[in-house]
Amino acid sequence: MGTDPEKVDEAVYAELAKHYTTAEIVELGAYVAFNIGYHTFFGSLDFYPMFTPDGRLVSQEESRAIYGEKVDSHLRGAMARAEKSAEAASSGEAAE
Amino acid sequence: MPVIEPVPADEITDKTLKKYLEQAEDLRVPDPLFVQIMAHSPSHANAVLDAMFESLAKGNVDPCLKEIIRIRLARQAKDPYFSGLRLKIAEDAGLTEERIDAGCGDFETSDAFTDAEKWALRYAHLMFTEPKKVNQAFYDEGKQYWSEAEIMELGTLIAYHYGFDVWMRTLKALPLTAA
Repeated sequence: MGTDPEKVDEAVYAELAKHYTTAEIVELGAYVAFNIGYHTFFGSLDFYPMFTPDGRLVSQEESRAIYGEKVDSHLRGAMARAEKSAEAASSGEAAE
Repeated sequence: MPVIEPVPADEITDKTLKKYLEQAEDLRVPDPLFVQIMAHSPSHANAVLDAMFESLAKGNVDPCLKEIIRIRLARQAKDPYFSGLRLKIAEDAGLTEERIDAGCGDFETSDAFTDAEKWALRYAHLMFTEPKKVNQAFYDEGKQYWSEAEIMELGTLIAYHYGFDVWMRTLKALPLTAA
């Protein structure tokens, strides 16, 4: 739907119908439709999660450094960057 | 017939959804077909329709400009369903097909739009073609013409409608009546 909508044809819906009820297909379709637009819009507003993957409240500057400007898996980067950022913050506090 | 068969109107029992069905007949965007397709999942239907009617019929931004933006996005998504619908309140306010086509075409060189309207049309155009250009500088320019509330109103309109345009395209739905 988000990349090749022309490929979402009758055959795709017939396959979906083997696994999901019509109500669930409508629910999935509306959910995907909602997310297609909003992620692009939110991306343009340049904001980042308030919390690190382990639940620490951070500033938007720190969050940008943790989550990065490119979309990435938590496992491949955000968690490690959050730990590094927390260490830097705690060593800064210790120095004070 | 769309890929997902609409629920017959007389089988819709959810009270809120019945109200949206009537509203669809009045506002004409979406028309009752969309309500009847969404009716397979009534709780989702109510939330989706509430946001859709809110985005089109309420707010501070001129409904005629929002209607041009909505149609521009539907054409961009190659969705004949939402492209073919016309919002009654915009039609009543005097929005013509010529102005819609001007807004869906090369609006930048058109003298039919103010700088503020051109910024809003550019916002819709760039969002799903070159989203990287919708950056801080772009929003700073927009704030010369629009309040932050109006920019959010335009942004949510653009975000909301494009995704549903793509979805309806996959369902091969068409308007119930000619626009």
